Amino acid sequence: MKKALDFVKPALILLLVAAVVALVLGLVDSMTRDRIEAIAEQTKTNAMNAVLEAPSYEQIELGADAPSDIDEAYAAEGGGWVVQVTETGSQGAVTMMVGVNPDLTCSGISVTESSETAGLGAIASQQSAAGDAFRSQFVGQSGTVAVTKDGGTINALTGATITSRAISTGVTAALALCESLG
Amino acid sequence: MNAKKQLTEGLITNNPVLVQQIGLCATMAISTTLFNGIGMGLSVLIILTCCNVVVSAIRKIIPGQVRLAIFVVVIAGFVTIVDLLLQAFIPALSSALGVFIPLIVVNCIIIGRAEAFSSKEGVFLSFRDGVFQGLGYTCVLVLMCLVRELLGSGTIGGGILNGATSFFTLDGTGAGIRIIPEGFGAGALVLPFGGFLTLGCLMAVMQYALRKSNEKKARKEKEVKE
Amino acid sequence: MFASIVTISLAAILTNNFIFSQFLGICPFLGVSNKMSTATGMSVAVIFVMTMASAICWVINEFLLIPFGVAGFMQTVAYILVIAVLVQFVEMFLKKAIPALYSAMGIFLPLITTNCAVLGVVLLNTQNSYNFLESVIDGFTGGLGFTVAIVLFASVRERLEFADYPKAFEGFAICLVTAALFALAFMGFSGMKIPV
Repeated sequence: MKKALDFVKPALILLLVAAVVALVLGLVDSMTRDRIEAIAEQTKTNAMNAVLEAPSYEQIELGADAPSDIDEAYAAEGGGWVVQVTETGSQGAVTMMVGVNPDLTCSGISVTESSETAGLGAIASQQSAAGDAFRSQFVGQSGTVAVTKDGGTINALTGATITSRAISTGVTAALALCESLG
Repeated sequence: MNAKKQLTEGLITNNPVLVQQIGLCATMAISTTLFNGIGMGLSVLIILTCCNVVVSAIRKIIPGQVRLAIFVVVIAGFVTIVDLLLQAFIPALSSALGVFIPLIVVNCIIIGRAEAFSSKEGVFLSFRDGVFQGLGYTCVLVLMCLVRELLGSGTIGGGILNGATSFFTLDGTGAGIRIIPEGFGAGALVLPFGGFLTLGCLMAVMQYALRKSNEKKARKEKEVKE
Repeated sequence: MFASIVTISLAAILTNNFIFSQFLGICPFLGVSNKMSTATGMSVAVIFVMTMASAICWVINEFLLIPFGVAGFMQTVAYILVIAVLVQFVEMFLKKAIPALYSAMGIFLPLITTNCAVLGVVLLNTQNSYNFLESVIDGFTGGLGFTVAIVLFASVRERLEFADYPKAFEGFAICLVTAALFALAFMGFSGMKIPV
């Protein structure tokens, strides 16, 4: 009997601690959840507005045959599209928003999520002069977009050809998708 | 145990990173900008202090067999709270630190202090220990960030100073104050390579300084004896 | 399917090596890499626990946390508990069933609970929304990556004992500097991918 108690008591205390923790976490979660969701929504709208300004965006249902690197596509009110694409960079996934004008040229890009090397590939997602200069090269591009090394016109970021190549691939994929939609 | 001794221990003689040599993963991984360093350091400080207080408060009812499991649950609880609060109020920091915020759970500093200190000492002492050890951790992080950021990207205060809208900012747009012209930094220092190298050198400096001061102390004692 | 598995394995072992490019699991890496025999013992234990933890945590997340709508805030707590309990069970099981293996990796098992590579791989699996198979592969190959790093490093570290370096660098300091050179070498793998 005593032996059973020895085993039960610690288990009960552990359970009690876990229950208290779960309760507190539930409370904190209910206080922060709306705010976190609102921030995520806001960040997304900001990214979409940065590449193609429009009063509102409507999500397009993508068929099962859509390329696997396309995450989501939106039709902008007033013409044009915004496409979210994920490509593989040098350190993992690079997720970007690509704005496409009604005439199938790129209106702008923004890298929303990446884990590229700080100081090299990460410049592509930074709000800095170098980052802006790199991203602005994509504005007006159409058809197949590639870095100069691959015979295209995009000047790759110094020391980050792979990142630049991934973004070019993403833009090309977005343009191709819009052509099929368009 | 007085406050001054605890403070010196936390900052120098028993510094969690440089002397106890624990909690190294996050130290090297995120110390690329001052914003990350201060954010991570303060998050750990807060979590460490809270955990120390709670563990110390319930130390008499924790059964020995499951003590580690209980520590881990308490730590994970506080880490998640901080994680949620960061996501809600400083989203830029939350996305910059990424998976390293939940990974504070397995940061050996926190479980180490719970096991070695707060499960044995009173609430107030544990609180102070948490603050001072956390400060020691933050100082090392800030130092690492300053070295890597200045030499690697040529700026100081990246992410937190010189922002898009105001000089002091928490939205992650801070470009930092440029000290070395763009393109002249040793870019490798912000890569993983630089993390290992900088921490290794800092540790060596610390060991050198501690040895010198010990030698000095020993010499003084010898003189007094003679 | 096959392509994604190869991509994940390649990333976990070489391009995104847990130790040299993601800074996960540094403490055990430095702690047990001083002898080749302990390094291999730890590696076996880590591979085993990482694979198991990836599988179990995927199931828990998919069938328990998400249906109850608590995935956002109970994930970290649940995962670390799973890992702690798993390690405990593995220890008890090995002690009874395979004493030889237990004596080889027994002392490393408790250390694994606080190995951030284990919690790290599980969290990253969820973050990358891997399916069951991908998670298990990521766990297993992540462990292999850990093994590659620690075995390479142990072989260098055994020679470090006879090397001549400033006294201030004794202990972890010289190890970190050596690891820095390894990290630089592993940079060479970055960007490698399988053309599909």
